[in-house]
Amino acid sequence: MSAERMENGGGGVLKTFVWFWNKAGILVVFLLVCAILAVMTGGLFLRPENILNIVRQVSIHGVVAVGMTMVILFGLIDLSVGSIIAFSGILAAALQVKWMKGQNELWMFAVAVFVALAAGAAVGFFNGFVSTKAKIHPFIITLGTMSIFRGVTLLIGNARPITGMTPLFRRIGADEIKWDWLPFVIPYPVIIFLVCVAIAHFVLRKTSFGRSIYAIGGNPEAAYLSGIMVDRVKILTYTILGVLSSVSGLILTSRLNSGQMTAGQGYEMDIITGVVIGGTSMLGGEGSVLGTLLGVLLIGVIQNGMNLMGVQPYWQTIVKGGIIILAVLMDRLKRAFQTD
Amino acid sequence: MTGETMAKLLEMIDIDKSFFGVRILDKVNFDLGAGEVHALLGANGAGKSTLVKILSGAYTLDAGRMLVDGRGVDMSRHSPESALAMGVATIYQNFHLIPHLTVAENVCLADFSTGGKRWVNWKTMRRRALDALSAIGLDIDPGRVVRDLRVSQQQMLEIAIALSQNARIIIMDEPTAAISQRESEKLFGLVRAIRARGVGVIYISHRLEEIRQITDRVTVLRDGRNVGTLPVDDNLSFAAVVELIAGREVKMGRRPRATTLGSEFARVEGLRVPGYGDPVAFSVRAGEILGITGLVGAGKSEFARALFGADRPLSGSVRVEGTLVDVSNPSSAIAGGLGYLPEDRDTSGLCMGLSLKDNISLTSLAKSKSAALSVRRDVQLSGRFRKDLAIKSVDVNQQVRYLSGGNKQKVIFAKWLAANCRFLILDEPTIGIDVGAREDIYRLIEDFVGTGRAVALISSDFDEVLSLSDRLLVMSRGRITADLDPGKTDKPEIMSYCLGVSDQSIRHAAV
Repeated sequence: MSAERMENGGGGVLKTFVWFWNKAGILVVFLLVCAILAVMTGGLFLRPENILNIVRQVSIHGVVAVGMTMVILFGLIDLSVGSIIAFSGILAAALQVKWMKGQNELWMFAVAVFVALAAGAAVGFFNGFVSTKAKIHPFIITLGTMSIFRGVTLLIGNARPITGMTPLFRRIGADEIKWDWLPFVIPYPVIIFLVCVAIAHFVLRKTSFGRSIYAIGGNPEAAYLSGIMVDRVKILTYTILGVLSSVSGLILTSRLNSGQMTAGQGYEMDIITGVVIGGTSMLGGEGSVLGTLLGVLLIGVIQNGMNLMGVQPYWQTIVKGGIIILAVLMDRLKRAFQTD
Repeated sequence: MTGETMAKLLEMIDIDKSFFGVRILDKVNFDLGAGEVHALLGANGAGKSTLVKILSGAYTLDAGRMLVDGRGVDMSRHSPESALAMGVATIYQNFHLIPHLTVAENVCLADFSTGGKRWVNWKTMRRRALDALSAIGLDIDPGRVVRDLRVSQQQMLEIAIALSQNARIIIMDEPTAAISQRESEKLFGLVRAIRARGVGVIYISHRLEEIRQITDRVTVLRDGRNVGTLPVDDNLSFAAVVELIAGREVKMGRRPRATTLGSEFARVEGLRVPGYGDPVAFSVRAGEILGITGLVGAGKSEFARALFGADRPLSGSVRVEGTLVDVSNPSSAIAGGLGYLPEDRDTSGLCMGLSLKDNISLTSLAKSKSAALSVRRDVQLSGRFRKDLAIKSVDVNQQVRYLSGGNKQKVIFAKWLAANCRFLILDEPTIGIDVGAREDIYRLIEDFVGTGRAVALISSDFDEVLSLSDRLLVMSRGRITADLDPGKTDKPEIMSYCLGVSDQSIRHAAV
């Protein structure tokens, strides 16, 4: 579909729509969806405990989506995040319940968190290192690690969930900030998520590393010829995504009070949808973490709304699949109008 | 062979063609007899490919006539399909073959598309392939996968396929560029065989020796015009052909410049470029513009990429101002003071979706020691370059994709100025750039060397290197074949070195 053809005759409305979508589309759609859900659920949707529920759930996806944004900015992908969530979660659980049983709680907490994060970093590093050095598309590598670490999770847990975290560890997912002057509480996961968004936003806008990501996503050859160490930046980004997946795994394990075999399964779908709907192009080079913040919120809100309205889970998957295709189509349209 | 009594196989008369207002072909005439091999010669951009693409239906023409067997062709309906139906076939380097399929399948590929046959009969296919191959005496097993054949075999297969589809006019574009001497001999044998069958061949090549070996006539184009058609016989003088190709007129005078060449600034020794065997060596002096020219495929760009570390050289050393530069990758080459403007600036030079500012600060991005960026400093820096280099844009935040070719090139230039580059390698810096912006680019180059730095100016435009450079190297087939003084040479001499004409007497004759 050529930009020219759409600009001549009939394309005016479409063009205006695309322009509008670029500027503020996601925010408006988000508010619109919230309003519709508020009406359709008879106010149930706006109840404080429901909103708290949404933001808690979104945070677990959101932390990963922050890192996924960076990877998609390259025009690449990581399918292994769900498995890293489960793998790091089971490690943290096994350390507390099995391997370090009865030791000092604070010490156990520190080791569990550290080992989980290091494991996530290692898998992420592996994804980045092998795909860049062997020049294999990360789609294949991460498809492999996705399967491998789901399997490792099953091995560690002996195919059974590991339950019974220490009280300190459980606070990560369950506790919240309560201040008298605040009319609402802020769950820890939400704080972790927002801190990740803030740091990532700063890194992407204000550091050489962040700008290099955009440059590589925009034109890897030009970036390479300008002296940017393309491989190094990519590997570091995959490592960061691995760590963020572990953070998500820790929150989830803490919240469920259990290291689950199926933890994070299928999350990559929601996460990638959130990133793309937030305006980050699958072709790389364009997008932002703030867009992702809105994107994952929108996905969370739609899912929650469908739950409240009693929509069957089967339908929910169908709707989510439709949304991701729609989001990518919007991106294509946007690019069609950009061509010079 | 070129009997006047019978109608010509092909006649192209007064062909005109322009692209974006630039005249590429100007009343060009070309004809081909049955059983004739007619060489089409010319420098880069002389219009050879445009002419054959009009014949093969890839381009339409603006004005002119075309006759096949003396009958006029309706050029308004001429298309690749109608050209094929008329018997015009182009042999590209395995362009038409599907590498993963067998020889037999490639021969019968056209049948798949007709939609008439639903089922594939391997036995029939094999027999048809054998027929097509044996018709021109080719001994290739139809069951072999095309990818496993040698390049020359693939070319001969293409010819066999074309003939099996009743081709009568065969266009061969640089068929020997990628094959060995011995394979070339085999190919020539095949060309002679199809000539004997009354097929006409249009033969495009930069290798003059081949012209004498297998062609009957040569037609030379220069700047989109016919400059001569000569019979190929013992009287054919290469010197005359070279002069026809290059021309003597000089379009630009030497640019006046207060050149004060300093001592040796950079030295390259034994640089072996991937894909080319021979090591390359040269040195540049401070304040010098070193021109490097050659035809397409001479290895200029490959050499530039290796020199900059974009493709790691097999061996060799590069020194800038006496210090050894690590050219194993662009990052360390830049640290050593090198810079590189790639030939295809849109695909390798710029991040189209990024702003002017972000593109200019790309190199400093890679270099900066501290992680945090100063956006204000970048805005100031890019704003200064935008003003100094007269880059036409809305502001420094405009995406570079919206800039014109000349302004895009200036952005890349600014990028290297920002990186404090000392030795700049320019690969075709003015290709596709309008005259006004070209002048700006030339001035930037002169200002750059004016501060005691040096430039390697790679260009296939003889006028450009003659007018701008202080010294001129000529490359041919991956080697430096001449080191000339631009003030004392001329285009025929440069062309003779480009063509790799080995005979000394020809060179002297050409000068």
